[in-house]
Amino acid sequence: MKMCIACGMPMKTKDDFAMRDESKDYCKYCARPDGTMQSYEEKLEGMTDFIIRTQGLDEEAARNAAKGMMMKLPAWKE
Amino acid sequence: MNKRQEQKVKTRKLIIDIALNQFAKDGLVTTRTSDIAASANLSHGAVFAHFPTREALLNEVIEEFGMRVTKHLHELVEENVSMQGILEAHLKGIEEYEEFYTRLISEASILPESARNTLIGIQSAISFHMLEVAESEMKSSKLIKMPFNLMFNTWNGLINYYLMNKDLFAPRESVISRYGQQLVNHFMNLISIRGEVK
Ligand SMILES: [Zn+2]
Repeated sequence: MKMCIACGMPMKTKDDFAMRDESKDYCKYCARPDGTMQSYEEKLEGMTDFIIRTQGLDEEAARNAAKGMMMKLPAWKE
Repeated sequence: MNKRQEQKVKTRKLIIDIALNQFAKDGLVTTRTSDIAASANLSHGAVFAHFPTREALLNEVIEEFGMRVTKHLHELVEENVSMQGILEAHLKGIEEYEEFYTRLISEASILPESARNTLIGIQSAISFHMLEVAESEMKSSKLIKMPFNLMFNTWNGLINYYLMNKDLFAPRESVISRYGQQLVNHFMNLISIRGEVK
């Protein structure tokens, strides 16, 4: 199974892929409306907001965790 | 892949499997890599050839655990799953690695930052599945409308409390197998709109 290079989500069905295009390496949540992949800044914002919304963490703690998670993903390594 | 690379991948996988058990048994902070090496029948140096630091090994093990613990949730995606189904799948994943998970949540605040982030990432994957279902069931008036983070934290608070006090609740057996269904039913009662609970 392919994993999104930008957020790590497993992409199981066609619907999970950006633009429903299975040749893409990133998922629909990591795509901009025009289908291109979000930038590091955009993804960091998105992930931080998601962690706050679902786990209720403090903003700085959430951003820190998001940075740490992104560091391990192929799209953002080093 | 040639034979040598194949062997390398195999050994790496073996170390992760053995380490997962050892960390579960002896604790995430206190397990020694030399004990992991001994259990895997490898030299201490062989372990370090695959994982340069203890922290790197611990991170990989937590990540592997995360993949396994969320497996049942990922599998449910295509089905029309209910909130109760999500909670049950969450517990099923935990039950398979109950000892390791209990260590992980008990030691979370003293783990290296990178390990802590991996745990938040696992929770993120779990919440992702729960959020979708919760939102749709709140909309269809099956569930009481509430901030999702509070719903998620209340659920985790409940199960983690039982797990972290295993010695009081289920000293000689699995906490989840003994209380899991009861906790799911109780939580569903708390969040359901009356009349909808069976
Ligand atoms: Zn993605």
